[in-house]
Amino acid sequence: MAYLPRGVAQPTELVKHLNPLDPLLAEAGAVKWRYTIDEDWSGDPAIFFWITLSDETADPRILGQTARRIKDLIYRQVDPQGQWGLIPYFNFRSQSEQAQLKDEAFG
Amino acid sequence: MAYHDELIEHAVFLAEFNLPGQPKQADLRRAVSAAYYALFHLLTTEAAQNWKHFRQRDRFARMFDHGRMKTCSSRVSSRPLPIDPAEIPVARSLKLVADSFVTLQSARHRADYDNSEVWSRTQVYEAIIEAQDAMTEWMTIREAAMAQDYPF
Repeated sequence: MAYLPRGVAQPTELVKHLNPLDPLLAEAGAVKWRYTIDEDWSGDPAIFFWITLSDETADPRILGQTARRIKDLIYRQVDPQGQWGLIPYFNFRSQSEQAQLKDEAFG
Repeated sequence: MAYHDELIEHAVFLAEFNLPGQPKQADLRRAVSAAYYALFHLLTTEAAQNWKHFRQRDRFARMFDHGRMKTCSSRVSSRPLPIDPAEIPVARSLKLVADSFVTLQSARHRADYDNSEVWSRTQVYEAIIEAQDAMTEWMTIREAAMAQDYPF
C-alpha cells in the first residue's frame, strides 16, 4: 500500500493546526502568508510557505532574525515533517517587493 | 579564502548587484545557486578530509551525489532527538544543517530550472543567510561523531 503523509491525507486537520499561526506570524512581521502542498523537486511531499514581510522586518540587517523566528513558530506549532510528513520550504518577500511583483504565490 | 567562503561572497555580490536599482533575475538566480553550492562544497570537502589518501580527496569529494545528500539530510531532519542529553546540542545543530541543505537544494533547483518563478532580493538574501548560518553551525560540530557520520 502506498504511503500517504498525514498532511496530504488529513488536510482539514492540518488547516486547524495552521490557523492559530495567524496572529503569531503577524507579530513576527508577516503581513500576509499562505501555503501550498505539493511535491518538491525530487517528488517528496512538501508544504511551501509564502510569507510577505513588512518592509521593516525584511530589512537585510534583521532578515535572518525575522526568518528564524517565523520558522521556529511554524515548527513549534505544526512540526511539518515530524507530525505531517511534509518537508517545509519557506519563501520570503518584502511588502514593497510584492507590491511590485504581484506574485500570485504570495497572495 | 576557502572555496565555500568565496561562493558566499559571490552570492552576496550577485544579490546586491545593481543596488539600489532593480535586480536582474539572472543575478538573483545565480546567487541562490552559489549559496547552495557553498554549503554543498563545505560538507563534501569536510567529508573528504577524512579520506586517508590525500591525493584522492578532491576526486572523493566529487563522488557526492546531490540526490543522495538530500536523502541523508532528510533522514537526519526527521530523526528524533537522542536520549542522551549530552548529545542533544550536537543533534540540534546537525538538524539545522540538514534542514538548511534540503531547503537550499530545492531553492537551487527552482532557481536553475523553474523559469516561471520570479525571485526577489529578500528571498535571495534569506537563502544566503540560511547557507551562512548552516556553515557556521557546521563548524561548531564538525568534529563530533554524529556530524562525521552525516554525509554517508
